[in-house]
Amino acid sequence: MRVKSWFKSLKLAAILAAIFAHGFLFAEPMSLGYDLVTGMTNASKRLSYAGLVTYEFRGNLRSIKVAHIVRDGKTYERIQHMDGPEREVVRRGDDTDCMRAANLLLGGRPLKIDDDNYAHLRDSYDFHIRGDARIAGRSVSMVHVIPKDRFRYGYIVAIDKQSGLMLQSVLMDHDSKPMERFQFIDVAIGAGVNNVKWLPSLMKSDGVDDSVCQQSKIRPSPSAWESRWRPPGFVLSSYRPVDSSGRESIMYTDGLAVFSVFIDASERSQSWPSVEANLGATVVVLRKAQFNNRQYAVSVVGEIPRITATRIAIAMGPIRRLPANP
Amino acid sequence: MSDYEDRLGESVSALMDGEATEFEIHRVLKEVGDISGARNSARDKWQRYQMASSVMTGEPVSKIDLSGAVSAAIDLENTHRINPLIRHAGSAGRFAIAASVAMVAILGVQQLNNGGLENADAIQFAEVAVGEAVQNTGPALQFPRGFQPNFQARTVSVGGNNKTARQPVAKPLEARQPINKQFSELELRSYLNDIMMDHSSHAALNSGQGMLPFARITLNGVAPEPE
Repeated sequence: MRVKSWFKSLKLAAILAAIFAHGFLFAEPMSLGYDLVTGMTNASKRLSYAGLVTYEFRGNLRSIKVAHIVRDGKTYERIQHMDGPEREVVRRGDDTDCMRAANLLLGGRPLKIDDDNYAHLRDSYDFHIRGDARIAGRSVSMVHVIPKDRFRYGYIVAIDKQSGLMLQSVLMDHDSKPMERFQFIDVAIGAGVNNVKWLPSLMKSDGVDDSVCQQSKIRPSPSAWESRWRPPGFVLSSYRPVDSSGRESIMYTDGLAVFSVFIDASERSQSWPSVEANLGATVVVLRKAQFNNRQYAVSVVGEIPRITATRIAIAMGPIRRLPANP
Repeated sequence: MSDYEDRLGESVSALMDGEATEFEIHRVLKEVGDISGARNSARDKWQRYQMASSVMTGEPVSKIDLSGAVSAAIDLENTHRINPLIRHAGSAGRFAIAASVAMVAILGVQQLNNGGLENADAIQFAEVAVGEAVQNTGPALQFPRGFQPNFQARTVSVGGNNKTARQPVAKPLEARQPINKQFSELELRSYLNDIMMDHSSHAALNSGQGMLPFARITLNGVAPEPE
């Protein structure tokens, strides 16, 4: 009898121990995955790196040569397409200490939307470590980023163990099918890549618009349009007023996913029908809307599910009276 | 009496009351049709039930069984074969419904296909088609280069065969073309390209994912070529 009760308490102890150990063992990879992801935005900004990248979607493969050079706190980027038509983007990027909304969000910092609401990466995604792998000849940690709702997609990212740089990103749809894959096949990281020919000419050029750097609070967009619905966690990240072609753009991010809203009231847009299209993982929903007797083409573009994009497009509306048709 | 026969008896009874389920009807007919062997009990039972019901309703009772003669006569009849033409017409009808559902989704897209794709585009679409069978049953060739149309009605891939579904969806598109022709498809195409470019370059700065959005931009040469 005594032996039996002793066994019982031993069992109980074992179960309790198992529960505690379980908590520990699994809590750590969770937060570790989160830490890795929040660290990668910093790494991709502050590190100099150059390499070859493949970009793949639905049977298409593109190879791209990328370089990201940091010198004196400024960043310079060059993207060369190695197949198809010759194409190259060279630009001065943000300064390394410029933190945009997405950088802050992806960096794990909560962003104040209004008095009661904060956006936080953790509210939108779960992070799970999925073991180790080798990519571009380097040892990486695989992290599965799982969306908490169906308004956005998930990712599998590979993060370089040594530098924290993201070396692979696979966008996953809701059936866990990969939609696109971005992956380094070779990369050099560190000061060694700093010495490039194209840098000096670029150093004299103007940087990109950095007025949105260092915003800890989301400012209301100066647009006459507002988004009456968007998936939780998405905050305004940039705004461009109406340009010469009659188009203004408002852009939102949750730290990982980005979508842009374009509003066009130009003459040419009047006759366009509503269109939906997608290219790779990017979806375009162009919707005709009428306010104050005037036709607008409201387009939502982003790497988000089409249903989300459609909902966003429908929910765009003017805050105040829009100019009437002349 | 076995359990099965019990249930069969209930089914027969239900059938006569007009309360049998479709499954029960099938089971009873199968048993009754099986004249040979020891399974005649269902048939007998049906006859007995029928007789009892006739007595109760005051109808004349007869023991003459016509069922054998009737089924023999049916066997002698020529089989009515389905005319293959009619069968095709039927599925075309279904296609038409499917296509008209698809129309709702792509009403605005169809105008884009009359520009005539260059050969290069066709090759690109051939590439696209390799991996996209699961997601897109629509005609990829209808859309500006690089783009793939979205069909909200893609569940209508009749019979589940993508190849057959492809053709019928395409036809009504052409038929609908004259509806609104007053806009320039080229303009719309370049606008879509434009906003995607814009989005990508915004995204390259405004997502924490570094240069990934740049990789997206120039897919299939979507960026407008310098002219």
